[in-house]
Amino acid sequence: MSNKLSVLTKGIVKENPVLVLLLGTCPTLAVTTQASNAIGMGVAATAVLLCSNIVISALRKIIPDKVRIPCYIVLIASFVTIVQMIVSAFAPDLNDSLGIFLPLIVVNCIILGRAEAFASKNGVIDSALDAIGMGVGFTLTLFAMASIREIIGNGTWYGFSIPVLADNHVSILTMAPGGFLIFGVLIAIINHASKGKGVTRDEFGCDGCPSASSCGRSTCAKEGVIE
Amino acid sequence: MDFKALIAIIMTSALVNNYVLQQFLGICPFLGVSKKLDQATGMSIAVIFVMLLATAVTWPIQEFILNRFELQYLQTIVFILVIAALVQLVEIILKKNMPSLHASLGIYLPLITTNCAVLGLCINNIDLGYGFLPAMVNAFGSGLGFLIAMVLFSGVRGRIEQNDAPEAFKGIPITLVAASIVSVSFFGFSGIVENLFG
Amino acid sequence: MTPIITAVIVVTAIGIICAIILSVASKVMYVHEDERISLARECLPGANCGACGFAGCDGYAKALVEDESLSVSLCTPGGADAASGLAEVLGRTAGEVARKVVAVNCCGDCDVTEDKMDYRGVDTCAGAKLFFGGKGKCPYGCLGLGDCVKICPESALYLENGLVHVKPRLCTGCGICTRACPNNLLETIPVEYKVMVACSNHDKGAVTRKACTNGCIACKMCEKTCEQGAFTVIDNLAVIDYEKCTGCGACVEVCKPGCIILRPTLV
Repeated sequence: MSNKLSVLTKGIVKENPVLVLLLGTCPTLAVTTQASNAIGMGVAATAVLLCSNIVISALRKIIPDKVRIPCYIVLIASFVTIVQMIVSAFAPDLNDSLGIFLPLIVVNCIILGRAEAFASKNGVIDSALDAIGMGVGFTLTLFAMASIREIIGNGTWYGFSIPVLADNHVSILTMAPGGFLIFGVLIAIINHASKGKGVTRDEFGCDGCPSASSCGRSTCAKEGVIE
Repeated sequence: MDFKALIAIIMTSALVNNYVLQQFLGICPFLGVSKKLDQATGMSIAVIFVMLLATAVTWPIQEFILNRFELQYLQTIVFILVIAALVQLVEIILKKNMPSLHASLGIYLPLITTNCAVLGLCINNIDLGYGFLPAMVNAFGSGLGFLIAMVLFSGVRGRIEQNDAPEAFKGIPITLVAASIVSVSFFGFSGIVENLFG
Repeated sequence: MTPIITAVIVVTAIGIICAIILSVASKVMYVHEDERISLARECLPGANCGACGFAGCDGYAKALVEDESLSVSLCTPGGADAASGLAEVLGRTAGEVARKVVAVNCCGDCDVTEDKMDYRGVDTCAGAKLFFGGKGKCPYGCLGLGDCVKICPESALYLENGLVHVKPRLCTGCGICTRACPNNLLETIPVEYKVMVACSNHDKGAVTRKACTNGCIACKMCEKTCEQGAFTVIDNLAVIDYEKCTGCGACVEVCKPGCIILRPTLV
């Protein structure tokens, strides 16, 4: 039971997909201008992650090894299309604010990476728990970053105006440079808190991410393997 | 379409709406491959190449197949499938016919396949309602913007390497802070298209 | 029902077309790569230093497979391990790999020589060299800014008291550093060489003496002392003929400036 619990919770802090594994950076920077967008994106990505992990795990013995990446991509793309349709039907405002990043969930490294690293090697229940953990971690991170950017950058939080900041906000934080800055500072805080006890490349799944061979992530760069 | 409008498209997608620094597409390779100038240039040229090819294939598919049969909702699936197959094909052809080019650019091709930048561009072209030629020009402009951002940033990164950042900031965080400043500099381009072309 | 059927047919058709194109392409454009090349490549350390004389480890692996008579012992960083691995993969015999190590042909540290300027320029040897030949009084000597230290893949070089030293145990003799020194002070020599002339100054004795108290003044004491006749002073600098040198060390005793030394062998 504790193993199942650890599978579930590791995605939230220890192997947080955004701040520790540095996957899914594009949507992180783009949709965190408002807290409501962040929650919407997080929930959508979690839904896709959960469904794709379950299905890929269930089909893992049938899919031939040589064509597994294209198969995973098609499966993930199908779920993304379904989520797109649901969102545009029931939450059209969210659809407009997420814009192009809703269909871009299909190339989100988190999903393909977890499918390759975890779902293709583990049972359905474990994969589902892993998906929930990673998804929750992703959503929480997005929410945290979006809250910071919205509160200081816009003086509102989830649409509610905040007394002093509403008139004295730092708009650049809601724009492109602000995204990079807050992201960098958050990672620095995590680095400081964990004092370099990050996970190594072998422990989490880089293999699904096509950037694996030329990626330069500081948490996993092995001496002389990646520069 | 008149020439001025095409130039305006190139300038918008390369500078004003830079794919990496304003639209946040293609961040992973931006952070990963921009450490060395030759890697950065190789990657960007591969990106321009793939963007042009991908637009050339996906635009007709959208126009003549998806729109004709009212299947717009299949856009995501069909686009990513076609892009992945296309890049695989290009890699096979390059390996056979231009091995030297394959040796220098080939490693970046799988990296670009499942990359937000290319898929984002293809979907953008459709959303912006461009015809075929403007779409190709947009692809070229976006790739060019990617190149500019990568090359500039690899220079910045080279300088950061030699400086002494605080311990917690070493590695990715200081790179991101630098990226935010480079991104601010690109704001300088914001009025350029209106002022040049009236 | 019809929209569903249309969708399924369209996606399946696109998928099948892509699959056919890719399968045909991979058969038609099949590039035959001798698998021995990748096996050979795996035996090599991947330093891409060029000591073997080929363009990187890939170049050497390819050349080995193509040329049956090429020696498998050319990789100095790989050493005996690489040679035996390659011999096994390619079915050839491994010869002797001459273990090489790097020597620094300069003994001008801060105790024996001085700076001629307070240099505030670009913090690299290459940059300092461009600026009036560097900050030291001796234009031939070690520039002391560590370009070679930075480039060594084994971290076998270190700066101490303004002069570069080698850690012989770590040095693999790959020779990458020899190309980084603007004054060409680094040289790969066989491990057996015991004695060396740690100076590269070609100026007349009096000039050298002013620049560095350890520099070679071409007094020819070494030439007179050496019983094997291994020394010749050419162009105001002593040169050792290693064919004749027995490593007896007699020259080390008589060298007044102190630039002839026993090559450091300890870490």
